[in-house]
Amino acid sequence: MQLRAVKHTTTPEVKTVTAKRPRSIQWSYMFTSWLGFAPFLLFCLLFEILPAVMVIQASFVDSNSGVFTLNNYQRILAQTDKLHAFQNSIALGIITALLSGIIGFLAAYGVFNLRTSWLRNVIIGFSSIAANFAGIPLAFAFISTLGVTGFITVLLLTWFHIDLYNSLNFSLYSFWGLVLVYIYFELPLMILITLPALSTLRPEWREAATNLGASNFTYWRRVGLPLLFPSLVAATMLLFANSFGAFATAFALAQGGINLVPIQIQFVVNGNVNLDPGLGNALAGGMIVVLLIAVLLYSAMLRRVSKWQGR
Amino acid sequence: MTNRIVLALVILYLLLPLGATLVFGISNGNGIGFSSYQEIFSDHDFSATLLLSFELALASTVLAVVLITPTAYWVQLRLPQARPMMDFLALVPFAVPAIVMGFGLIEVYSGNNTLLSILSLGLVPLLSNPPFNVVNTPQLLVCAYVIVSLPFVYRPIDNSLRAINTKVLTEAAYSLGSGWWRTFLTVVLPNIWPGVISAALLTFSTAMGEFTLAELFGIYTFPIYLNVTGQNNAHKAASLTILSFLLTFLCVLGIIFLLRRRPGGAKQDERLDIVAIK
Repeated sequence: MQLRAVKHTTTPEVKTVTAKRPRSIQWSYMFTSWLGFAPFLLFCLLFEILPAVMVIQASFVDSNSGVFTLNNYQRILAQTDKLHAFQNSIALGIITALLSGIIGFLAAYGVFNLRTSWLRNVIIGFSSIAANFAGIPLAFAFISTLGVTGFITVLLLTWFHIDLYNSLNFSLYSFWGLVLVYIYFELPLMILITLPALSTLRPEWREAATNLGASNFTYWRRVGLPLLFPSLVAATMLLFANSFGAFATAFALAQGGINLVPIQIQFVVNGNVNLDPGLGNALAGGMIVVLLIAVLLYSAMLRRVSKWQGR
Repeated sequence: MTNRIVLALVILYLLLPLGATLVFGISNGNGIGFSSYQEIFSDHDFSATLLLSFELALASTVLAVVLITPTAYWVQLRLPQARPMMDFLALVPFAVPAIVMGFGLIEVYSGNNTLLSILSLGLVPLLSNPPFNVVNTPQLLVCAYVIVSLPFVYRPIDNSLRAINTKVLTEAAYSLGSGWWRTFLTVVLPNIWPGVISAALLTFSTAMGEFTLAELFGIYTFPIYLNVTGQNNAHKAASLTILSFLLTFLCVLGIIFLLRRRPGGAKQDERLDIVAIK
């Protein structure tokens, strides 16, 4: 809300200043204003917007004849491994987002309730480091921990005679292994996103609810969670987008062995014989569509957050 | 009580792989030793790729800061109606992940597409043909890194600009006879340094660890070296992982320290400034 107020006070000021000037000066003022914005805009056009436009446009074009076609998308639906790639990627996004969303929320509430502020700061600091620790190093950290010869794997085998790989059928280099790895950077991210939202819950609301006879459970069900709902959905969307689009960790873990959309796109770029650019564009276009839904939900929820929590 | 237990378990989960990796790196089958670190430091590829990644990261950081800081200030001051556009541009990297963006960049700068030539005002054909030929070059990689880091460069800088009273400061400087650039460099910039430097550190650490685009462009950076090493020598890769963790650690520590010194301190809702969301 504050943000809106600031906007309202600044924009009319500019207008009144410019309105007094002759029309030509007003035009040149607007022109120089936009001219100062132009270098950045041009940079974004060249390296951000055009690649996205290119991918979407090319996904509707036959890569040999250059005519409009829906064939690229139809082939994704027809080829089971492409369809599976989408199913796997979406499932991976949803599972990691929900798991880290729920566990991360509880952990964030734990941090929120901590009385000792130095411990709080240490945990928040460590979460920021862990959330930034992703990609190739993270994959190798997990291979060193839970890989075939990893530290924990060997420890469990020699001390407790638990064979993760052969008797428990666990594999780090599989879908569920990837879930474990992705949760590593999603959990601290969830903690960092949820903490500010939690601090908007006023203690008075809880006191009022308790005075009216609400139990802890009723308070959360009727007051706490409904208020936090938009922030939580927005956070989950962010987590989903984060793991749905991630490539590096999955690639380093299984070197292309797990069938995901980003892995398939990399095959296209590397010139895999079974894949042509048209199919690659359709895969990329499909990713954009899925992510667009997540981003739209994310920004819609953020708008509701600012409405409720009086920012 | 449950949330305390969950929190303890989460922290254990976050610490465990780090400890295990540290031990795994220094144990080499028959004992404990620092031979993997010796091997790393004597490896020519290690220093070469680290240097290349360092140069790329530095270039991306400088370009991102130089491009975005004046623009954010300009938009705040002169062009508030462009703010939604700015927000949109900072949101696009969420919907277009690095793998798609890299794929798109290769297609844009390696083909001849009339539509793109027109849309880019003739700049795409200029950049994709000699003498520039940007496709798969480190230069294009740097530009892509700037775009990838756009969301988390723009936000802390914009938040810092809002925390100070930009308009009043600027008007005061103007009325004392200062020009735009002088106002920006000597009045506004010193006030938002912590936000700018923390954005820079985040860009730097992300570019140092970026793998997807470098792999697509075929440029041999440090994360690619780490991936190749991991296929042959797991212990060496574990020690390299610890080294890159230390790098992330230092960058994030710097950011936390700087955000505290920002005018108004690190506000509750600005904690996200610390995370590079990919």
